[in-house]
Amino acid sequence: MLAILGIAEAGSGHPGASFSAAEIMGSLYLRVMKHSPRNPEWPDRDYFVNSKAHSAPGYYATLSVAGYFPPDEMSSLRRLGSRLQGHPVRYSSYQQSQSVPGIEYSGGSEGIGLSVAVGIALASKMDRKRNHVYVLIGDGESNEGQIWEAAMAAAKFKLDNITVILDRNRIQQDGFTEEIMPMDPVRDKWAAFNWNTEEVKGHNVEEIMDTLYKTKRVKDRPSIIIANTIKGNGIKHMTNNPQWHGKAPPRKHTPVLLEELENECFIAPSIIAGEPENYEDKIRKAERGGADMIHLDIMDGKFVNNTTMGAETIKKLRRVTSLPFDAHLMIENPVELVDGFIDAQCDIITVHAETCTEEEFLAIAEKLLQNGISPGIAVNPPTDLPLWVFSHLEKIDVLIVMSVNPGFSGQQFLPETLEKMALLDGKLRKHGFKGYIEADGGIDSRRLQEVYDAGAKIMVAGNAVYGSSDIHGAIIQLKHKANVALERKLLARSTSLEIRQDWIRARRHILIPLANELGIEEELHATE
Amino acid sequence: MQLSNLRKTGDMRGAYGEALVELGNENPNLVCVGADTTESLKTKKFGDKYPDRLFNLGIAEANLVSVAAGLAIAGKVVFASTYAAFLPGRCLDQIRNAICYPNLNVKLVVSHAGLTVGADGASHQQNEDFSVMRSIPNMKVLAPADALAAQQLTKLVAKTPGPFYMRLARPSSEILYSESIRFALGKANVLSEGNDATIIACGLMVQRSLEAARLLKEQEGISCRVIDMFCIKPIDHDLVYDAAKKTGIIVTAEEHNVIGGLGSAVTESCCERYPVPVKRVGVKDTFGESARDDEIEDLLVKYGLTSYDIAKSVIDSRRKALV
Repeated sequence: MLAILGIAEAGSGHPGASFSAAEIMGSLYLRVMKHSPRNPEWPDRDYFVNSKAHSAPGYYATLSVAGYFPPDEMSSLRRLGSRLQGHPVRYSSYQQSQSVPGIEYSGGSEGIGLSVAVGIALASKMDRKRNHVYVLIGDGESNEGQIWEAAMAAAKFKLDNITVILDRNRIQQDGFTEEIMPMDPVRDKWAAFNWNTEEVKGHNVEEIMDTLYKTKRVKDRPSIIIANTIKGNGIKHMTNNPQWHGKAPPRKHTPVLLEELENECFIAPSIIAGEPENYEDKIRKAERGGADMIHLDIMDGKFVNNTTMGAETIKKLRRVTSLPFDAHLMIENPVELVDGFIDAQCDIITVHAETCTEEEFLAIAEKLLQNGISPGIAVNPPTDLPLWVFSHLEKIDVLIVMSVNPGFSGQQFLPETLEKMALLDGKLRKHGFKGYIEADGGIDSRRLQEVYDAGAKIMVAGNAVYGSSDIHGAIIQLKHKANVALERKLLARSTSLEIRQDWIRARRHILIPLANELGIEEELHATE
Repeated sequence: MQLSNLRKTGDMRGAYGEALVELGNENPNLVCVGADTTESLKTKKFGDKYPDRLFNLGIAEANLVSVAAGLAIAGKVVFASTYAAFLPGRCLDQIRNAICYPNLNVKLVVSHAGLTVGADGASHQQNEDFSVMRSIPNMKVLAPADALAAQQLTKLVAKTPGPFYMRLARPSSEILYSESIRFALGKANVLSEGNDATIIACGLMVQRSLEAARLLKEQEGISCRVIDMFCIKPIDHDLVYDAAKKTGIIVTAEEHNVIGGLGSAVTESCCERYPVPVKRVGVKDTFGESARDDEIEDLLVKYGLTSYDIAKSVIDSRRKALV
């Protein structure tokens, strides 16, 4: 978000690239790397070489969050006299007025950073240091021959102290990478250069971190992590849109763009719904339809009057998709049983407030966070959120507000839960809750808008999807409604900022197919 | 006097290698990187002595230059060497952005520049390097005139922080200096005094300039000041000013295109402070060609880079000045 502020203030920059690598840089600076903002030249620090220097706004934002400089300086990006140059500049006693501490490498010309990292890594080996060198490169950048010169050299010198992260967002300045200069099979290429290769979902922090820790332990070979990312992730009219490779959004759009990042609406199909056909097929259909995650209802026959899948089943399903698994444990004694679901590689694990004490929940949340899994807590329609939850909001990523009594799919939505959601949303935000409210039960495309307006951002959809004769179409319809809900919110925000016409013009191609439902056909027409 | 009268010859590359071995002993942080030319550039001598401090990166110059930058970031003093055609010629981007912009401690030392490369021909006869290198901020540009100067300047650049470009000649050449000579950055050496004209030269053309001065003295009675401008950047502005003011005529001599090199640097300096006629002896904006080692002198004759060409330029300038 700091990146968007900076780019908008500057009037130029590379917003797409900043977003595709946000989770990667965050994982490095906030968790994985050994570094010290108080002592940036600490000799045993890990190095980060940002070869993909056009992601500068995101890089600066990360450095600022990590503590290298005050965030209010972001607004000086690319301005005359700023320390935040268009492409980052190495910080040294020689260059203090055009750089901020923590920047090791002056980037800007593509394809050079990996070679520089090879030099740093050679010096570390020579000095018998145990530090690590991380390098971020782009996929467009990988067109450069020098990348492959450096790849050969790193393998020759057995530089196991190098980990490259390839931001595979598949877009470069002129268009899609596979049209401009095909890089696939990119993983095979690196393997052929004698590198250890890994592949991750580039916006999944847990997976990124696990893999970063893993490559640190590899011996005698350099490692590359191919991070499959989405350019402009989070901002719809920038996402996967080459137009936004090097162009800034207008400054007055910033508040609306920030609103978009916080208010996306996710669809989570619940695969226990519908015909008792096989789960794998349901997951594949959900993915093809554009679902954001897979909701897994785990019932033990004790806490609820039904039995569904267990951890072993989830383990088998894990290889079917790379979509996040949103596991909802409707079971007794979750504190004893949660390990199995951690092993099964769920991405979100939610337990019921009715099934654990404060101490038990904290033990569960701690374990989940250590494993890079998002903790969630759920409440049934008659249950009030326990007061102790308010003391631990920073540990909670998801709050499921049940909109039916759990146990069976196909029940009617309970309208009184809307008020409960809205009330909780307001109260929790006031206490600093940064996670998502998830609504579960009886939600269909007719109902979605009001649930969204009540504050829920994750919509579990069971019968509405798998009870339909056209599963694919049903998910598309839900996703469509989710988009309409978001656009409606953003239009309202732009109206209050008195930039409505301008916003509609910037986002035309997203709004055109939704115009009828949003009631803005005439306005759209007027912007032509 | 600074000049030797022993008439010995020496090889700049050999002197460079020996200086590196000596420096490597004094400074454990000094490292070399090479690109499949370590034998030719004599950095192999250093590698034989300190095997874990010479990194051969193969025929990959862009990588060579950037790896050197990385080593410098991690605190090393780095000497990166290969042929001139492949460093400034090929790697301007990396030299500019990875080394000069962050002002890193990397020394680019090249050989095989100028026409005297000989047999390899125009592809290798880099005559544009001074021009390109001196226009990058933070870069300093040197061209020693003999093996002794090469050795001394190697030590000077090792001890002076920041990026350097130093060009060594391929052929062996006469030793001009005596052992006691010391060099200072931005301070040129006056090798002979004279009042009628000044010849400012660098690299192998210094010896030819001394020869031209001798010819002019003996045959025409013209006395020339001869300056070894081994440091093309930063150039010795005070000495150029003094030469212009006291001798009124300047001739430059370099194994480089007349565009952008020493001749241009002297002209720029002269014009701004005390304009006098400057004639530039050098490669006349053209490509060279192959010549075997025993034909090098004929090659220089063909392209107008001999002591006679320098002497003739002095005479022409004086004639014009007298008109």
